[in-house]
Amino acid sequence: MELTREDKKILHRLQSNFPLTPHPFRTLAEELGLEESEVLRRTRAMAEKGIFRRLGPIIDTHEMGNTASLMAMRVPEGRIEEVSRTINAYTGVSHNYLRKGKNKEIPYNVWFTMSAPNKQELVRLIKEIEEKTGLEVRNLPTTKKFKIGVKFNIYSGE
Amino acid sequence: MADQTDIKLLKHIQDGIPLVERPYKEIGEALGMTEEEVISRIKGLLETKKVRRFAASVAHRKIGINSNAMCVWRVPSDRVEAVGKVMASFPEVTHCYERPTFPDWPYNLFTMIHGYADGECEKVIEEMKEKTGVKDYVILYSEKEFKKTGTRI
Repeated sequence: MELTREDKKILHRLQSNFPLTPHPFRTLAEELGLEESEVLRRTRAMAEKGIFRRLGPIIDTHEMGNTASLMAMRVPEGRIEEVSRTINAYTGVSHNYLRKGKNKEIPYNVWFTMSAPNKQELVRLIKEIEEKTGLEVRNLPTTKKFKIGVKFNIYSGE
Repeated sequence: MADQTDIKLLKHIQDGIPLVERPYKEIGEALGMTEEEVISRIKGLLETKKVRRFAASVAHRKIGINSNAMCVWRVPSDRVEAVGKVMASFPEVTHCYERPTFPDWPYNLFTMIHGYADGECEKVIEEMKEKTGVKDYVILYSEKEFKKTGTRI
């Protein structure tokens, strides 16, 4: 989908903060100098084309009392698909990637993030994955956050 | 902690609100709340930081941000604070975290970098290297995405 100037204007606002007003699309429209119906139509079209995944709350697991961590595993080549299926079956898993080092070899290839209601439960789930797969899971929790904010520069690709 | 009504509300809207003229009214009708209460509860969740943002999650690949890299750095522990701040200040860096090290894993600073053009991430990494003086790093690129969803409760 080729985004128009108007689409980009809307998308830029949608990824920052969506108005919490009774008529949010009207609020957006007034701000951007567009018609409410146009903002709604373009937003729906972008949702349909998958330009954005969802419009809603970006939940902070830690503030919700949950705990989350990044895990890394060294999975033999022939078992990658099978092990990934085992990992993905857990609802707490939000990301799961096969990664390779570009400039250097690294000891792990499967990387996933997992959340749980508390630390003990997370540790239990890690153990469970280790038992199911017979492979070690390296737990790499965040010790300090310097930045977290996935907002993209919608315009610089022009 | 969020109360039960907040949890009920978050579970209902975590995959996205309806794209209609009055989304909060529609959500309220489904949950037996008023439009006003839905709005004030979302505002409350934002104020208490249980919700980081109320917004759209952009599928960066779909808007042409095709150059992505996770870059991990080996930073001396007494420099992590300063280096972390400098790296976080790059607009192309969307995430910057410190994580523990292990005998087989000496990299303590994790950064996610997003760029439009091919090779843009490598350019940013070069700049990060120059600005911080940290030279031991690995670029981890994703060969395959097995799963990607937002954080759900």
